[in-house]
Amino acid sequence: MTVTPPTAKAVTGGRPVPPSGWLGWVTSTDHKRIGVLTVGTSLVLLLAMGILALTMRAQLAQPEQQLVDTHTFNQLFTIHGSGMIYMVVTPFAIGMGVYLVPLQIGAPGIAMPRLTLLGYWLYALGAAVMLAGFATPLGAHADGWFSYPPMADSIHSPGAGSDLWIAGVFLATTGTIVMGWTVLWTVLRKRTHGMTMLRLPLFSWSMIATCLMVIGAFPALLAALGLLAVGRADPSIFDHNVWNIGYQHLFWFYGHPVVYVMFFPYLAAVAEVLAVFSGRRFFGYQGTVLSLLVFAALSMSVWGHHMFATGQAANDYYSLTSIALLVPAGVEYFSMLGTIAGGRLRFAPPMLFALAFIPQFLIGGLTGIMVGTPVIDYHVTDSYFVVAHLHYVLFAGSAFGLFAAVYFWFPKVTGVMLGHRLGRLHFWLLVIGANLTFLPMFALGYLGMPRRVSTYAAFEGFGWLNLLSSIGAAFLAAGVILFAVNVLWTLRKRTLGRAEKAPDDPWGGHTLEWATSSPPPRLNFTPEHPVPPVTSFAPLLDLRQRQEVTAVDRSPS
Amino acid sequence: MRQRHIFGEVFTLESIIAGVVFVVVVAVFVYALIGRRAGRQVTASQRAERPRLEAYYVGVLAAFSVFLVAWTAWQNHREHQTAAGPPVRVDVSSFQWCWSFNYPQAPDRRTVSGSCRGDDLPTLVVPTGRPVQLRLTSRDVIHSLWVPHLRYKMDAFPHHVNTFTLTLDKEGRWRGKCAEFCGERHRTMHFWIKAVSPDEYDRWLQDQPGGGQGAAV
Repeated sequence: MTVTPPTAKAVTGGRPVPPSGWLGWVTSTDHKRIGVLTVGTSLVLLLAMGILALTMRAQLAQPEQQLVDTHTFNQLFTIHGSGMIYMVVTPFAIGMGVYLVPLQIGAPGIAMPRLTLLGYWLYALGAAVMLAGFATPLGAHADGWFSYPPMADSIHSPGAGSDLWIAGVFLATTGTIVMGWTVLWTVLRKRTHGMTMLRLPLFSWSMIATCLMVIGAFPALLAALGLLAVGRADPSIFDHNVWNIGYQHLFWFYGHPVVYVMFFPYLAAVAEVLAVFSGRRFFGYQGTVLSLLVFAALSMSVWGHHMFATGQAANDYYSLTSIALLVPAGVEYFSMLGTIAGGRLRFAPPMLFALAFIPQFLIGGLTGIMVGTPVIDYHVTDSYFVVAHLHYVLFAGSAFGLFAAVYFWFPKVTGVMLGHRLGRLHFWLLVIGANLTFLPMFALGYLGMPRRVSTYAAFEGFGWLNLLSSIGAAFLAAGVILFAVNVLWTLRKRTLGRAEKAPDDPWGGHTLEWATSSPPPRLNFTPEHPVPPVTSFAPLLDLRQRQEVTAVDRSPS
Repeated sequence: MRQRHIFGEVFTLESIIAGVVFVVVVAVFVYALIGRRAGRQVTASQRAERPRLEAYYVGVLAAFSVFLVAWTAWQNHREHQTAAGPPVRVDVSSFQWCWSFNYPQAPDRRTVSGSCRGDDLPTLVVPTGRPVQLRLTSRDVIHSLWVPHLRYKMDAFPHHVNTFTLTLDKEGRWRGKCAEFCGERHRTMHFWIKAVSPDEYDRWLQDQPGGGQGAAV
């Protein structure tokens, strides 16, 4: 009797051997790899989009500067806005869902992993196609991230850059929709034993609300882009007002829910960080879950508040639905403040970013009520006031949530701790930078500076406010460079085996991802790292509290 | 200046409200940062929710949003009420990259335009104290007529006319701008709006027949 030596195929049970190296990454059906690819791609794009923004801030630092010409400037703000919204903040949010949701619900993988991978490919391809516009003779697309026709038709915006923009955004958005579906399906259908809907971690709940909006609203963007593509083939369709205003309706039907797609996952990441570093259960969990769903539902009815000045929207109605959003938003603030006001606060880097989110996002939210008021919006829309508002929401808010999430989950994803000292420095530079950059913009808009101008005259008196803003941008640049250095250096040390190893649960986490190893194994949970009993939305906290009670009972008194 | 006054009232009230909310939130925030840090040996609360308090709070928020919506909608309608008396009509046509103002009530149907290059900005001349109805359209892409001093703007669409009414109570000259991105020279697409006394306006309207360039009033 002869024993045949085991072949690779025998080891994998007859299945082909998965490739290793980079090919292994881009063909992996492991949700963790797809998640890291998505998040990593969007972080690289974040740096690129930041460079575009810094160029704009340099150009605007003083009146009548000619650092870049107007046509280049128009490309910069278009690709900065499009890149940040379609290809950084949205995909990062969905990518976090792809990575974290299966872990948080105790599943071994994501639903429809191949489709999820396809979603990533479409997203990455879309980003490459859009950026390829810079290589065309007339440059990249230059009509702003919402690209209204007829300005964006082939008569007023000739050049392949605009076509590539349409194709790129279409591909990336299709990818996002596909990933949204699989994440939603995962959280609904792959929950572990005992994981009822009201035991889902808040982050997973936020992904439900987020993915519902992705599925409900993002196809409207595809329709709008389709309309624009038809209009580039035959610009005469835009001789009819119905297609011009119709494009705006289609676009903003996507364009407002996407704001909350870029908000909920970061808000929920902040909520988880606040709870963990307050050493307590998140306060008002059920109210927050309900508010997310109400928020998501209302988000589909507010789009016309972007069109108050068109004279072709039902302003009273859109103002009603927009201002009504203060109710669910207020509930979320109630919970966040309740969590920290009854906590025992530890100020590690994730917590610093999460804490700063609270007052900074509030500025974005309160000014959001102002721009949701037609009488105020007539003056400030399309001015720097709106630029300030949206950057308070998306940068001083969501990006702080993003960094809180990176510092929080980095040890879980990589197995090593991210440097604390650089993290703190990064935090303070970012706080100074964000407020110094975006606060003066409120005043600039109020005083009459329109958005999307490549320069301004000296007599208009915008000079010193713009200078302050540009100085703030330098702080932001320094902070983000430190962050990149921190991440790359830590990963380099990990390769050399000198990095600080992360334990399974470095922070005293509440949710299931902290019960498995760092980084988690291929199927997330193993007999050595089983799924703990799911007793609430904070199962690990329950486990620790039970152990404390037992320890107290056993100790001699 | 109705728009400016109403904007001022609403903006002031909403700023005060926003300021109060911000201060309250920051107060709780600072209390938590200082009073609840781990160094002070506090123990974390075990209380997971306060449903009754939260329900009252939601009631307050809801009542508050009803007030804000109703009050600001009322202000919006007040802003758009047209004053009594026949308005002065001006047809405004925007194009890449300047403006043209047409006065259909002038004997010669006067049109004022410019190139928006350098100092060659067209002037929109209007009388004080009388309602001025602007009929706003575009010849090519979407533009937006914004007079920051009046705290008002409205978009100009091709193949569509938007109408709004202004009343200026004092004489003066202010700069208007295009607020909707419209291409290469968007940033210099400015104009002047000049309010003169009704007498002077009537004289200007009657006295310069055939004058194509009304910029030098």
